[in-house]
Amino acid sequence: MLSELDQKSAVADKLVITDSDFEKFRDFFYRKTGIKFENSKRYFVDKRLIDRITATETESFRQYFSFMRFQASGHEQQALINAMTVNETYFYREEYQFECLVENVMNEIAASKRPGDTIRIWSIPSSTGEEPYSIGLYLLEKWPQLDNFEVEIVSSDIDSNVLDKCAQGIYNERSVSGLPARVLKKYFTQIGVGKYQISIDLREAVKFTQVNLAQPTQTRAYRGFDVVFCRNLLIYFDDASRRNAADVFYDALLPNGFVFLGHSESMSRISSLYKVRKFPKAMVYQKPA
Amino acid sequence: MGLRKTSTNIALPDENVENENREVPRDFTQLKFQILSLEPSERRWAARDLGNHPEGVPILLETLETETVVPVLDAIFTSLQKHPTHECVNGLIRFLSSEDASVRNNAIEVLQSMPNALETHILSLLNHPDSDVRIFAIDILQQLVHQNAPEWLKSVLLDETHVNVVATAVDRIVEIGDSSILPTLERVAQRFAQHDYIQFAVNTAIERIKEDTYA
Repeated sequence: MLSELDQKSAVADKLVITDSDFEKFRDFFYRKTGIKFENSKRYFVDKRLIDRITATETESFRQYFSFMRFQASGHEQQALINAMTVNETYFYREEYQFECLVENVMNEIAASKRPGDTIRIWSIPSSTGEEPYSIGLYLLEKWPQLDNFEVEIVSSDIDSNVLDKCAQGIYNERSVSGLPARVLKKYFTQIGVGKYQISIDLREAVKFTQVNLAQPTQTRAYRGFDVVFCRNLLIYFDDASRRNAADVFYDALLPNGFVFLGHSESMSRISSLYKVRKFPKAMVYQKPA
Repeated sequence: MGLRKTSTNIALPDENVENENREVPRDFTQLKFQILSLEPSERRWAARDLGNHPEGVPILLETLETETVVPVLDAIFTSLQKHPTHECVNGLIRFLSSEDASVRNNAIEVLQSMPNALETHILSLLNHPDSDVRIFAIDILQQLVHQNAPEWLKSVLLDETHVNVVATAVDRIVEIGDSSILPTLERVAQRFAQHDYIQFAVNTAIERIKEDTYA
Protein backbone atom coordinates (compact mmCIF):
# COMPACT_ATOMS: atom_id res chain seq x y z
CA MET A 1 0.00 0.00 0.00
CA LEU A 2 1.27 3.45 -0.91
CA SER A 3 1.08 6.16 1.71
CA GLU A 4 -0.89 9.31 0.85
CA LEU A 5 2.39 11.16 0.39
CA ASP A 6 3.72 8.49 -1.95
CA GLN A 7 0.48 8.53 -3.92
CA LYS A 8 0.71 12.31 -4.37
CA SER A 9 4.33 12.00 -5.39
CA ALA A 10 3.42 9.34 -7.97
CA VAL A 11 0.70 11.59 -9.41
CA ALA A 12 3.08 14.55 -9.55
CA ASP A 13 5.66 12.47 -11.42
CA LYS A 14 3.13 11.80 -14.17
CA LEU A 15 2.07 15.42 -14.62
CA VAL A 16 3.50 17.28 -17.59
CA ILE A 17 3.29 21.00 -18.32
CA THR A 18 3.41 21.33 -22.10
CA ASP A 19 4.79 24.32 -24.00
CA SER A 20 1.28 25.56 -24.72
CA ASP A 21 0.28 25.09 -21.06
CA PHE A 22 3.26 27.20 -20.08
CA GLU A 23 2.34 29.91 -22.60
CA LYS A 24 -1.26 29.92 -21.46
CA PHE A 25 -0.27 30.18 -17.81
CA ARG A 26 2.36 32.81 -18.50
CA ASP A 27 -0.14 35.04 -20.34
CA PHE A 28 -2.72 34.63 -17.60
CA PHE A 29 -0.24 35.32 -14.80
CA TYR A 30 1.10 38.38 -16.58
CA ARG A 31 -2.37 39.86 -17.05
CA LYS A 32 -3.18 39.14 -13.44
CA THR A 33 0.01 40.33 -11.74
CA GLY A 34 2.21 42.10 -14.27
CA ILE A 35 4.94 39.52 -13.59
CA LYS A 36 6.26 37.86 -16.71
CA PHE A 37 8.21 34.63 -16.61
CA GLU A 38 10.91 34.24 -19.24
CA ASN A 39 11.63 30.84 -20.75
CA SER A 40 14.62 30.58 -18.43
CA LYS A 41 12.17 30.35 -15.51
CA ARG A 42 10.40 27.35 -17.05
CA TYR A 43 11.62 24.81 -14.48
CA PHE A 44 10.66 27.09 -11.58
CA VAL A 45 7.16 27.66 -13.01
CA ASP A 46 6.54 24.01 -13.96
CA LYS A 47 7.53 22.78 -10.51
CA ARG A 48 5.19 25.18 -8.71
CA LEU A 49 2.33 24.50 -11.09
CA ILE A 50 2.67 20.78 -10.51
CA ASP A 51 2.74 21.43 -6.75
CA ARG A 52 -0.56 23.34 -7.01
CA ILE A 53 -2.15 20.71 -9.27
CA THR A 54 -1.24 18.07 -6.72
CA ALA A 55 -2.38 20.15 -3.75
CA THR A 56 -5.79 20.81 -5.31
CA GLU A 57 -6.12 17.15 -6.36
CA THR A 58 -6.90 18.14 -9.93
CA GLU A 59 -5.67 15.77 -12.60
CA SER A 60 -4.08 17.92 -15.25
CA PHE A 61 -2.98 21.45 -15.98
CA ARG A 62 -6.12 21.99 -18.01
CA GLN A 63 -8.41 20.92 -15.18
CA TYR A 64 -6.42 22.89 -12.62
CA PHE A 65 -6.35 26.03 -14.74
CA SER A 66 -10.09 25.96 -15.20
CA PHE A 67 -10.63 25.33 -11.47
CA MET A 68 -8.28 28.13 -10.47
CA ARG A 69 -9.62 30.65 -12.99
CA PHE A 70 -13.26 30.23 -12.09
CA GLN A 71 -13.17 29.37 -8.37
CA ALA A 72 -15.63 31.80 -6.78
CA SER A 73 -13.58 32.42 -3.61
CA GLY A 74 -10.39 33.16 -5.54
CA HIS A 75 -8.39 31.31 -2.87
CA GLU A 76 -6.54 29.11 -5.33
CA GLN A 77 -5.58 32.10 -7.45
CA GLN A 78 -4.01 33.67 -4.37
CA ALA A 79 -2.29 30.40 -3.45
CA LEU A 80 -0.84 30.28 -6.96
CA ILE A 81 0.40 33.88 -6.75
CA ASN A 82 1.97 33.11 -3.39
CA ALA A 83 3.74 30.07 -4.83
CA MET A 84 5.08 31.97 -7.83
CA THR A 85 6.50 34.98 -5.99
CA VAL A 86 9.86 34.60 -4.32
CA ASN A 87 10.36 35.80 -0.75
CA GLU A 88 13.97 35.96 0.29
CA THR A 89 15.72 38.89 1.87
CA TYR A 90 17.60 39.87 5.05
CA PHE A 91 17.94 42.78 7.48
CA TYR A 92 19.97 45.78 6.33
CA ARG A 93 20.20 44.47 2.75
CA GLU A 94 21.79 47.21 0.61
CA GLU A 95 22.44 49.17 3.80
CA TYR A 96 23.86 52.23 2.02
CA GLN A 97 20.30 53.13 1.03
CA PHE A 98 19.16 53.20 4.67
CA GLU A 99 22.17 55.38 5.42
CA CYS A 100 21.09 57.72 2.63
CA LEU A 101 17.56 57.72 4.07
CA VAL A 102 18.63 58.91 7.54
CA GLU A 103 21.56 61.11 6.50
CA ASN A 104 19.88 62.97 3.62
CA VAL A 105 16.35 62.11 2.55
CA MET A 106 14.63 62.26 5.95
CA ASN A 107 16.33 65.55 6.78
CA GLU A 108 15.16 67.07 3.51
CA ILE A 109 11.59 65.89 4.11
CA ALA A 110 11.70 67.14 7.72
CA ALA A 111 12.80 70.57 6.54
CA SER A 112 9.56 70.90 4.57
CA LYS A 113 7.36 69.90 7.55
CA ARG A 114 6.48 71.29 10.94
CA PRO A 115 7.41 69.51 14.16
CA GLY A 116 4.69 67.00 14.99
CA ASP A 117 3.80 66.36 11.34
CA THR A 118 3.57 62.84 9.96
CA ILE A 119 6.13 61.43 7.55
CA ARG A 120 4.86 58.41 5.64
CA ILE A 121 7.00 55.62 4.20
CA TRP A 122 5.74 52.82 1.93
CA SER A 123 7.87 49.70 1.60
CA ILE A 124 6.90 47.31 -1.17
CA PRO A 125 7.25 44.36 -1.46
CA SER A 126 7.31 43.60 2.25
CA SER A 127 8.45 40.07 1.53
CA THR A 128 8.83 38.60 5.03
CA GLY A 129 9.24 41.99 6.70
CA GLU A 130 13.01 42.50 6.80
CA GLU A 131 12.93 45.71 4.75
CA PRO A 132 10.19 47.66 6.58
CA TYR A 133 11.61 46.58 9.97
CA SER A 134 15.10 47.62 8.80
CA ILE A 135 13.68 51.07 7.99
CA GLY A 136 12.16 51.25 11.47
CA LEU A 137 15.40 50.10 13.13
CA TYR A 138 17.48 52.58 11.17
CA LEU A 139 15.19 55.48 12.06
CA LEU A 140 15.21 54.52 15.74
CA GLU A 141 18.96 54.11 15.84
CA LYS A 142 20.25 56.72 13.44
CA TRP A 143 17.80 59.55 12.79
CA PRO A 144 18.15 62.15 15.55
CA GLN A 145 15.01 64.04 14.48
CA LEU A 146 12.69 61.06 14.98
CA ASP A 147 11.31 62.46 18.22
CA ASN A 148 10.10 65.61 16.42
CA PHE A 149 7.89 63.77 13.90
CA GLU A 150 5.48 60.87 13.70
CA VAL A 151 6.75 58.37 11.14
CA GLU A 152 4.24 55.92 9.69
CA ILE A 153 5.59 52.83 7.93
CA VAL A 154 3.26 50.90 5.64
CA SER A 155 4.49 47.76 3.94
CA SER A 156 2.69 45.78 1.25
CA ASP A 157 3.01 42.52 -0.61
CA ILE A 158 0.99 40.64 -3.19
CA ASP A 159 1.51 37.40 -1.24
CA SER A 160 -0.98 37.12 1.61
CA ASN A 161 1.01 34.31 3.30
CA VAL A 162 4.01 36.51 4.00
CA LEU A 163 1.90 39.11 5.80
CA ASP A 164 1.32 36.73 8.69
CA LYS A 165 5.06 36.04 8.87
CA CYS A 166 5.71 39.79 8.81
CA ALA A 167 3.31 40.35 11.69
CA GLN A 168 4.91 37.57 13.75
CA GLY A 169 8.34 39.04 13.12
CA ILE A 170 10.25 35.78 13.66
CA TYR A 171 13.52 35.39 11.77
CA ASN A 172 16.28 32.85 11.38
CA GLU A 173 20.00 33.30 11.86
CA ARG A 174 20.62 34.11 8.21
CA SER A 175 18.04 36.91 8.13
CA VAL A 176 19.55 38.74 11.09
CA SER A 177 23.21 38.01 10.30
CA GLY A 178 23.74 41.53 8.88
CA LEU A 179 22.59 43.27 12.05
CA PRO A 180 25.12 44.67 14.55
CA ALA A 181 25.13 42.51 17.71
CA ARG A 182 24.01 45.50 19.77
CA VAL A 183 20.93 46.07 17.56
CA LEU A 184 20.07 42.37 17.61
CA LYS A 185 20.29 42.32 21.40
CA LYS A 186 18.30 45.53 21.84
CA TYR A 187 15.37 44.84 19.51
CA PHE A 188 15.10 41.05 19.27
CA THR A 189 14.34 38.20 21.63
CA GLN A 190 15.84 34.79 20.98
CA ILE A 191 12.93 32.36 21.09
CA GLY A 192 14.68 29.15 20.12
CA VAL A 193 17.77 27.79 18.41
CA GLY A 194 18.55 30.29 15.62
CA LYS A 195 15.14 31.97 15.97
CA TYR A 196 14.73 35.64 16.82
CA GLN A 197 11.55 37.67 17.26
CA ILE A 198 11.57 41.40 16.71
CA SER A 199 10.22 43.53 19.59
CA ILE A 200 6.53 44.27 19.96
CA ASP A 201 7.31 47.99 19.59
CA LEU A 202 8.67 47.42 16.10
CA ARG A 203 5.88 45.00 15.18
CA GLU A 204 3.31 47.61 16.09
CA ALA A 205 5.18 50.26 14.15
CA VAL A 206 4.65 48.70 10.72
CA LYS A 207 1.26 48.27 9.10
CA PHE A 208 1.28 45.37 6.64
CA THR A 209 -1.17 45.35 3.73
CA GLN A 210 -1.84 43.12 0.76
CA VAL A 211 -1.74 44.88 -2.58
CA ASN A 212 -1.36 43.98 -6.24
CA LEU A 213 0.35 46.79 -8.13
CA ALA A 214 -1.42 45.73 -11.31
CA GLN A 215 -4.88 46.30 -9.79
CA PRO A 216 -5.87 50.00 -9.85
CA THR A 217 -8.74 49.37 -7.43
CA GLN A 218 -6.20 48.20 -4.85
CA THR A 219 -3.47 50.79 -5.40
CA ARG A 220 -5.75 53.82 -5.50
CA ALA A 221 -5.94 54.01 -1.71
CA TYR A 222 -2.16 54.50 -1.38
CA ARG A 223 -1.69 58.28 -1.19
CA GLY A 224 0.30 60.91 0.62
CA PHE A 225 3.63 59.11 1.03
CA ASP A 226 6.94 60.91 1.44
CA VAL A 227 9.13 57.91 0.61
CA VAL A 228 8.63 54.69 -1.36
CA PHE A 229 11.05 51.78 -1.07
CA CYS A 230 10.61 49.38 -3.98
CA ARG A 231 13.80 47.39 -4.27
CA ASN A 232 14.44 44.36 -6.42
CA LEU A 233 10.83 43.97 -7.51
CA LEU A 234 10.73 45.76 -10.84
CA ILE A 235 13.44 43.45 -12.20
CA TYR A 236 10.76 40.73 -12.29
CA PHE A 237 8.38 42.96 -14.28
CA ASP A 238 8.23 43.52 -18.02
CA ASP A 239 8.39 47.05 -19.50
CA ALA A 240 4.64 47.70 -19.39
CA SER A 241 4.32 46.58 -15.76
CA ARG A 242 7.37 48.57 -14.72
CA ARG A 243 5.84 51.62 -16.31
CA ASN A 244 2.58 50.98 -14.49
CA ALA A 245 4.42 50.61 -11.17
CA ALA A 246 6.23 53.92 -11.75
CA ASP A 247 2.82 55.53 -12.27
CA VAL A 248 1.42 53.95 -9.10
CA PHE A 249 4.36 55.31 -7.05
CA TYR A 250 4.02 58.74 -8.65
CA ASP A 251 0.39 58.93 -7.58
CA ALA A 252 1.19 57.56 -4.13
CA LEU A 253 3.90 60.15 -3.47
CA LEU A 254 3.54 63.73 -2.27
CA PRO A 255 5.31 66.35 -4.41
CA ASN A 256 9.07 66.11 -3.75
CA GLY A 257 8.60 62.54 -2.48
CA PHE A 258 11.40 60.01 -2.99
CA VAL A 259 11.64 56.53 -4.51
CA PHE A 260 14.40 54.06 -3.62
CA LEU A 261 14.94 51.27 -6.16
CA GLY A 262 17.31 48.29 -6.04
CA HIS A 263 20.91 48.89 -7.08
CA SER A 264 20.42 47.20 -10.46
CA GLU A 265 17.23 49.09 -11.27
CA SER A 266 16.95 52.49 -12.94
CA MET A 267 13.85 54.66 -12.97
CA SER A 268 15.33 56.68 -15.84
CA ARG A 269 14.88 53.64 -18.08
CA ILE A 270 11.29 53.20 -16.94
CA SER A 271 9.68 56.62 -16.70
CA SER A 272 10.42 60.29 -17.31
CA LEU A 273 8.20 61.34 -14.40
CA TYR A 274 11.00 61.52 -11.84
CA LYS A 275 14.19 63.48 -11.46
CA VAL A 276 17.41 61.85 -10.30
CA ARG A 277 18.91 62.93 -6.98
CA LYS A 278 22.49 61.93 -6.30
CA PHE A 279 23.27 61.83 -2.60
CA PRO A 280 26.71 60.87 -1.22
CA LYS A 281 25.74 57.24 -0.58
CA ALA A 282 22.93 56.50 -3.02
CA MET A 283 20.99 57.65 -6.05
CA VAL A 284 17.31 58.27 -5.35
CA TYR A 285 14.42 59.30 -7.61
CA GLN A 286 12.22 62.26 -6.75
CA LYS A 287 8.74 63.32 -7.83
CA PRO A 288 8.95 66.94 -8.98
CA ALA A 289 7.13 69.56 -6.89
CA MET B 1 6.57 61.36 18.48
CA GLY B 2 8.57 58.57 16.90
CA LEU B 3 7.28 55.57 14.98
CA ARG B 4 3.49 55.52 14.74
CA LYS B 5 1.93 52.45 16.36
CA THR B 6 -0.90 50.51 14.80
CA SER B 7 -3.31 48.25 16.66
CA THR B 8 -4.16 45.96 13.73
CA ASN B 9 -1.04 45.53 11.71
CA ILE B 10 -2.43 43.50 8.79
CA ALA B 11 -4.92 44.88 6.28
CA LEU B 12 -6.25 42.97 3.30
CA PRO B 13 -7.78 44.72 0.28
CA ASP B 14 -11.47 45.53 0.57
CA GLU B 15 -13.25 42.70 -1.25
CA ASN B 16 -15.93 45.13 -2.31
CA VAL B 17 -13.55 47.55 -4.03
CA GLU B 18 -15.66 47.66 -7.21
CA ASN B 19 -18.32 49.48 -5.23
CA GLU B 20 -15.97 51.99 -3.63
CA ASN B 21 -17.15 55.55 -3.19
CA ARG B 22 -15.47 58.04 -5.48
CA GLU B 23 -15.87 61.80 -5.74
CA VAL B 24 -16.71 61.52 -9.42
CA PRO B 25 -18.17 58.36 -10.98
CA ARG B 26 -15.52 56.54 -12.99
CA ASP B 27 -17.76 55.37 -15.80
CA PHE B 28 -16.78 55.97 -19.39
CA THR B 29 -19.12 58.92 -19.92
CA GLN B 30 -17.75 60.81 -16.92
CA LEU B 31 -14.15 60.02 -17.81
CA LYS B 32 -14.65 61.56 -21.28
CA PHE B 33 -15.45 64.86 -19.56
CA GLN B 34 -12.82 64.49 -16.86
CA ILE B 35 -10.00 64.24 -19.36
CA LEU B 36 -10.94 67.74 -20.55
CA SER B 37 -10.66 69.17 -17.01
CA LEU B 38 -8.58 72.30 -16.46
CA GLU B 39 -6.95 70.56 -13.48
CA PRO B 40 -3.96 68.39 -14.60
CA SER B 41 -4.35 65.92 -11.74
CA GLU B 42 -7.97 65.26 -12.78
CA ARG B 43 -6.87 64.77 -16.38
CA ARG B 44 -4.16 62.37 -15.23
CA TRP B 45 -6.63 60.28 -13.25
CA ALA B 46 -9.11 60.28 -16.12
CA ALA B 47 -6.33 59.15 -18.46
CA ARG B 48 -5.37 56.36 -16.08
CA ASP B 49 -8.95 55.16 -15.62
CA LEU B 50 -9.72 55.35 -19.34
CA GLY B 51 -7.08 52.65 -19.72
CA ASN B 52 -9.69 50.23 -18.36
CA HIS B 53 -12.02 51.01 -21.28
CA PRO B 54 -11.05 49.73 -24.75
CA GLU B 55 -13.41 52.31 -26.26
CA GLY B 56 -11.29 55.00 -24.60
CA VAL B 57 -8.37 54.49 -27.04
CA PRO B 58 -9.55 57.12 -29.61
CA ILE B 59 -10.11 59.66 -26.83
CA LEU B 60 -6.66 59.05 -25.39
CA LEU B 61 -5.08 59.39 -28.85
CA GLU B 62 -6.99 62.59 -29.50
CA THR B 63 -5.92 64.03 -26.15
CA LEU B 64 -2.28 63.35 -27.04
CA GLU B 65 -2.60 65.97 -29.79
CA THR B 66 -3.11 68.81 -27.31
CA GLU B 67 -1.90 67.64 -23.89
CA THR B 68 1.38 69.20 -22.73
CA VAL B 69 1.62 68.27 -19.01
CA VAL B 70 4.18 65.45 -18.63
CA PRO B 71 2.40 63.41 -15.87
CA VAL B 72 -0.82 63.49 -17.92
CA LEU B 73 1.02 62.48 -21.09
CA ASP B 74 2.69 59.66 -19.18
CA ALA B 75 -0.66 58.37 -17.92
CA ILE B 76 -2.09 58.45 -21.45
CA PHE B 77 0.76 56.35 -22.81
CA THR B 78 0.52 53.90 -19.91
CA SER B 79 -3.18 53.45 -20.62
CA LEU B 80 -2.66 53.07 -24.37
CA GLN B 81 -0.09 50.36 -23.66
CA LYS B 82 -2.90 48.23 -22.25
CA HIS B 83 -4.56 48.08 -25.69
CA PRO B 84 -2.21 46.55 -28.26
CA THR B 85 -4.65 46.88 -31.17
CA HIS B 86 -4.32 48.04 -34.78
CA GLU B 87 -6.34 51.13 -33.90
CA CYS B 88 -3.90 52.01 -31.15
CA VAL B 89 -0.83 51.31 -33.32
CA ASN B 90 -2.27 53.39 -36.17
CA GLY B 91 -2.94 56.25 -33.80
CA LEU B 92 0.49 56.12 -32.18
CA ILE B 93 2.42 56.00 -35.45
CA ARG B 94 1.52 59.59 -36.26
CA PHE B 95 3.25 60.71 -33.05
CA LEU B 96 6.57 59.42 -34.38
CA SER B 97 6.63 62.71 -36.30
CA SER B 98 5.97 64.78 -33.15
CA GLU B 99 8.24 67.76 -32.52
CA ASP B 100 8.11 66.87 -28.79
CA ALA B 101 10.92 64.40 -28.04
CA SER B 102 9.13 63.11 -24.94
CA VAL B 103 5.97 62.30 -26.91
CA ARG B 104 8.02 60.70 -29.67
CA ASN B 105 10.06 58.56 -27.28
CA ASN B 106 6.97 57.45 -25.40
CA ALA B 107 5.29 56.51 -28.69
CA ILE B 108 8.36 54.46 -29.64
CA GLU B 109 8.37 52.68 -26.28
CA VAL B 110 4.68 51.84 -26.41
CA LEU B 111 4.88 50.64 -30.01
CA GLN B 112 7.81 48.39 -29.04
CA SER B 113 5.50 46.64 -26.61
CA MET B 114 2.94 45.77 -29.32
CA PRO B 115 4.79 43.40 -31.67
CA ASN B 116 1.76 41.58 -33.04
CA ALA B 117 -0.35 44.65 -33.71
CA LEU B 118 2.64 46.45 -35.20
CA GLU B 119 3.59 43.62 -37.58
CA THR B 120 1.45 44.76 -40.53
CA HIS B 121 2.60 48.37 -40.15
CA ILE B 122 6.36 47.95 -39.90
CA LEU B 123 7.15 47.82 -43.63
CA SER B 124 5.22 51.00 -44.35
CA LEU B 125 7.05 52.68 -41.45
CA LEU B 126 10.41 51.56 -42.83
CA ASN B 127 9.38 53.10 -46.18
CA HIS B 128 7.93 56.28 -44.69
CA PRO B 129 8.71 59.43 -46.76
CA ASP B 130 10.22 61.13 -43.68
CA SER B 131 13.73 59.76 -43.01
CA ASP B 132 13.43 60.66 -39.33
CA VAL B 133 10.37 58.41 -39.00
CA ARG B 134 12.33 55.63 -40.73
CA ILE B 135 15.06 56.05 -38.09
CA PHE B 136 12.47 55.85 -35.31
CA ALA B 137 11.05 52.71 -36.94
CA ILE B 138 14.53 51.20 -36.66
CA ASP B 139 14.62 52.19 -32.98
CA ILE B 140 11.33 50.34 -32.52
CA LEU B 141 12.76 47.24 -34.25
CA GLN B 142 15.75 47.19 -31.94
CA GLN B 143 13.58 46.31 -28.94
CA LEU B 144 10.67 44.65 -30.72
CA VAL B 145 10.10 41.08 -29.57
CA HIS B 146 9.29 39.69 -33.01
CA GLN B 147 11.01 36.92 -34.91
CA ASN B 148 11.04 38.98 -38.14
CA ALA B 149 12.88 41.94 -36.60
CA PRO B 150 16.33 40.90 -37.94
CA GLU B 151 14.86 40.36 -41.43
CA TRP B 152 13.18 43.76 -41.41
CA LEU B 153 16.42 45.40 -40.38
CA LYS B 154 18.23 43.48 -43.10
CA SER B 155 15.84 44.89 -45.70
CA VAL B 156 16.81 48.40 -44.56
CA LEU B 157 20.48 47.57 -44.98
CA LEU B 158 19.83 46.28 -48.49
CA ASP B 159 17.42 48.91 -49.82
CA GLU B 160 17.68 52.15 -47.83
CA THR B 161 19.41 55.04 -49.62
CA HIS B 162 19.53 57.69 -46.90
CA VAL B 163 22.93 57.57 -45.24
CA ASN B 164 21.67 58.50 -41.74
CA VAL B 165 19.02 55.80 -41.81
CA VAL B 166 21.52 53.18 -42.96
CA ALA B 167 23.98 54.29 -40.28
CA THR B 168 21.30 53.78 -37.64
CA ALA B 169 20.45 50.35 -39.03
CA VAL B 170 24.12 49.31 -39.00
CA ASP B 171 24.41 50.45 -35.39
CA ARG B 172 21.27 48.57 -34.29
CA ILE B 173 21.95 45.32 -36.18
CA VAL B 174 24.88 44.63 -33.87
CA GLU B 175 22.47 43.83 -31.05
CA ILE B 176 20.08 41.57 -32.92
CA GLY B 177 22.08 40.23 -35.88
CA ASP B 178 24.21 37.11 -36.15
CA SER B 179 26.91 35.93 -38.55
CA SER B 180 24.36 35.50 -41.35
CA ILE B 181 24.13 39.29 -41.61
CA LEU B 182 27.86 39.74 -42.38
CA PRO B 183 27.53 39.53 -46.22
CA THR B 184 24.76 42.13 -46.07
CA LEU B 185 26.96 44.47 -44.06
CA GLU B 186 29.74 44.04 -46.63
CA ARG B 187 27.26 45.07 -49.34
CA VAL B 188 26.40 48.17 -47.32
CA ALA B 189 30.10 49.06 -47.23
CA GLN B 190 30.24 48.72 -51.03
CA ARG B 191 27.08 50.77 -51.59
CA PHE B 192 28.36 53.60 -49.42
CA ALA B 193 32.03 53.35 -50.34
CA GLN B 194 32.42 57.14 -50.37
CA HIS B 195 31.10 57.58 -46.82
CA ASP B 196 33.88 57.24 -44.26
CA TYR B 197 31.46 57.02 -41.34
CA ILE B 198 29.57 54.09 -42.88
CA GLN B 199 32.88 52.29 -43.52
CA PHE B 200 33.82 52.77 -39.89
CA ALA B 201 30.37 51.73 -38.61
CA VAL B 202 30.26 48.61 -40.81
CA ASN B 203 33.76 47.54 -39.78
CA THR B 204 32.88 48.00 -36.12
CA ALA B 205 29.62 46.08 -36.51
CA ILE B 206 31.35 43.19 -38.32
CA GLU B 207 34.02 42.99 -35.62
CA ARG B 208 31.48 42.95 -32.81
CA ILE B 209 29.21 40.35 -34.44
CA LYS B 210 32.27 38.12 -35.10
CA GLU B 211 33.37 38.55 -31.49
CA ASP B 212 29.90 37.54 -30.24
CA THR B 213 29.62 34.66 -32.70
CA TYR B 214 33.01 33.08 -32.14
CA ALA B 215 33.52 33.99 -28.48
